[in-house]
Amino acid sequence: MNFKKQLYEGVLTKNPVTVQLLGMCSTMAITTSLFNGLGMGLAVTIILTCSNILISALRKVIPSEIRIAAYITIIAGFVTIVDLLLQAFIPALSESLGVFIPLIVVNCIILGRAEAFASKNGVLASAVDGITQGIGYTLALVIVCVIRELLGSGTFGGGLLNGGQGFRIIPEQYPAMLLVMPVGGFLVLGCVIAGSQWLMKHLEKKSKKKEAAKR
Amino acid sequence: MKTESTAKYVLRLTLTLLIITTLVAASLAGVNSITKPEIDRINAEKTQKAIEAVLPGGGEALESFPDETGLVTAVYQGESGYAVQVAPAGFDGEIDMMVGVGSDGSVLGISIISHTETAGLGAVAADSGEKGQAFRSQFTGLTGQVLVTKDGGTVEAITGATITSRAVSQGVTAALACVADLG
Repeated sequence: MNFKKQLYEGVLTKNPVTVQLLGMCSTMAITTSLFNGLGMGLAVTIILTCSNILISALRKVIPSEIRIAAYITIIAGFVTIVDLLLQAFIPALSESLGVFIPLIVVNCIILGRAEAFASKNGVLASAVDGITQGIGYTLALVIVCVIRELLGSGTFGGGLLNGGQGFRIIPEQYPAMLLVMPVGGFLVLGCVIAGSQWLMKHLEKKSKKKEAAKR
Repeated sequence: MKTESTAKYVLRLTLTLLIITTLVAASLAGVNSITKPEIDRINAEKTQKAIEAVLPGGGEALESFPDETGLVTAVYQGESGYAVQVAPAGFDGEIDMMVGVGSDGSVLGISIISHTETAGLGAVAADSGEKGQAFRSQFTGLTGQVLVTKDGGTVEAITGATITSRAVSQGVTAALACVADLG
């Protein structure tokens, strides 16, 4: 078991959002407040982990000819369960994420991991993969959320902290509305991807230097 | 695999998928039976709250009501007037809202039950902050055709969300027309 390596991959080198560029629709649409980002990230992590476990457990039973149909059925089942539970027990989150919860069914991250990982690896490794990829997704969403919310609405922690209003950091008349709109999502995501690329290059150089120093 | 006959092979594929879909359907039915009463309760509560927000004392649902605009989804009659639930099309999907109309035929107040407008723009129409309240309070007392200033009316549209503001105005107009038809 290599949890640390998988976590490193999920968060940085194989991050579903910034490297694999999966699930862009939800990334653009819901990342306008911290509450949305955390909620969406958590929902996807739970669904991804559950579907990874089940698909991995059934990988020898499901004939490869019908695997996509079987995966989608299983994923849709989990998504609907989470959707119903959210509606019943966390209605505020369900309202704020709206149609994007049911749309997790077609979020490429879930089917992508089912096809690329869970269908080829054991149950435990697949569960870890679901959790680490989920963490990577959540982290990327939260970073985009915080930037967009701060520069676009001027608040931090909207929907979650300070009675749902969030803390106002920039006075109401200054924030750039553009960033809250879809186009802002693309701009911020582009910058976040650039940032993560820089970080990866930086870390790579560092580890190479270390090796060189050893010699 | 190679020894398997075609018939057996097709049967195996079909049965596997059938079992998976049956199990998924069964577990969904189970979850639904737990969550349905809770979801129904939350929705009923929301509607009730919206009615009380725009019509003091609340009201009883009318079974039939005139609806020329096609936007009215429910009408509640109370002591001081009506609460009309309308669903005009906003920027991004329907805006489910409640409009209180007094016995004199003017708007008592509006409240938005659910919507999917853009956060920070159209969503301001529904938020509990100063801006949202200021926007919604503009409708109080209006009669007849309600329009935003851009269309020659009196309603100051939310910055960057003219479509949402127009939709809300349209909903209010429909609610007023509906009550006018009720007499």
